[in-house]
Amino acid sequence: MSVLELENVTRSVGRGAREHVVLRDVSLRLDAGELVAVWGVRHSGRSMLLRVAAGIEPTDSGVVRFNGRALSPDSGEMLGKGIAYCRNAASGAEADGVLDELVLSQLARGVSRRPARTCALAALERVGAERCGAHAVHELDGADTARVRIAVALVAAPSLLLIEDPTSGVDLLERDAILALLRSLADEGLAVLMSAGQATALSGADRALSLTKGVLRGSVVPELAPVLPLRARAQN
Amino acid sequence: MGLSGAPTLSGSQRYGSGAMRSRVNWALLGLVIQRASYGYELVHRFERTYGKTLELSSPSHIYGALNALVKHELIEKVSGEEFGLDAGHPKPHYRATARGATAYEQWLVCQVQQERTRSRLFAEQLTVLEPQRALRVLARCEEAFLKQASAASPERTANQAPDDQAGRLTDLLVSEEQRLTAGARLAWIEYARDVLQALAARRSEEP
Repeated sequence: MSVLELENVTRSVGRGAREHVVLRDVSLRLDAGELVAVWGVRHSGRSMLLRVAAGIEPTDSGVVRFNGRALSPDSGEMLGKGIAYCRNAASGAEADGVLDELVLSQLARGVSRRPARTCALAALERVGAERCGAHAVHELDGADTARVRIAVALVAAPSLLLIEDPTSGVDLLERDAILALLRSLADEGLAVLMSAGQATALSGADRALSLTKGVLRGSVVPELAPVLPLRARAQN
Repeated sequence: MGLSGAPTLSGSQRYGSGAMRSRVNWALLGLVIQRASYGYELVHRFERTYGKTLELSSPSHIYGALNALVKHELIEKVSGEEFGLDAGHPKPHYRATARGATAYEQWLVCQVQQERTRSRLFAEQLTVLEPQRALRVLARCEEAFLKQASAASPERTANQAPDDQAGRLTDLLVSEEQRLTAGARLAWIEYARDVLQALAARRSEEP
């Protein structure tokens, strides 16, 4: 079973003469442990694709499934409960510092303070941003902001990470470190779907897809068919 | 012609149609510019540096190429003694001339120009096809470019300042160049697809 599955998803915005199709009959499957990158220019629909996959945007037709279960569109019901969605902007205006923000986001979900703090520190360490804990988000450079965005996602222990343009605003020489971090998270079993405005950010992806005027092209299903258990194969 | 101006003659044109058309000769000239040396060492350095891209028919290929470079005054032969080697090691050494160093830089710039000829040729060959067929070719090119862009491993380049270890600097530069060109080509395919789709639509409307 795929972690994420989009089946014939179509989405338009605007009305009448101004209506335009942002996603056109998009199908996509993403398995655990896969890093899939979607390249597209601005207004290609790449952000909408992630938002639809996160279940925070309605669809006109088609189905989005998370772990085999259809998401009710526009509800965000699985955010923080398996799906993590990282926008291309740092939040945290109300928190004193990065560590504080990571703790607060867990308190809001009912985690008590001590385990929340342990988990937050572990997440910062995992992304290589231990030194950022005491700083406010706006004090960080591009690469550290990207790391912290990923740490914020990780504290909720997701099985699907949807991340917008992870290397945008990141220094050239730091860029590959961020991509390597996402690659390593996928290698640990996380399913990662990222968008990329620059094709240089497709490096290390298991599959790179292109999105043009709402049409998704490339290998939209995992390239290796899932290996059936021995018994099932014998029955076949 | 300075490097700042647009080169008008390729290296092979400038040096006649003969030996200097060979990519091996220019590659070898680069190695002599890198460091003056003797034939045997150059054979090994050639294989280490260009082993993945240029093939030597035999080690004697290098000696023939050295002679051609000497003939064109791009390199010169000097005795081992001039290199401070003792009389027991009188191996002749080769070192680049000023003319050779300039010619090599001009030749490199011309290589980039040839890239333009290649892309023109590709567009010419694509547009002889019916729009629908051309669109199919574009779709397959797009897949190849997506693969090219994702093939570079970020782990290899992450957090490592480039150094001049044999091959490493080349790998870094090649990987970035391939990712960037893949990006440019993906954007170009998007444009070409628009144009061809419009053409296909117009043709289908024609009686």
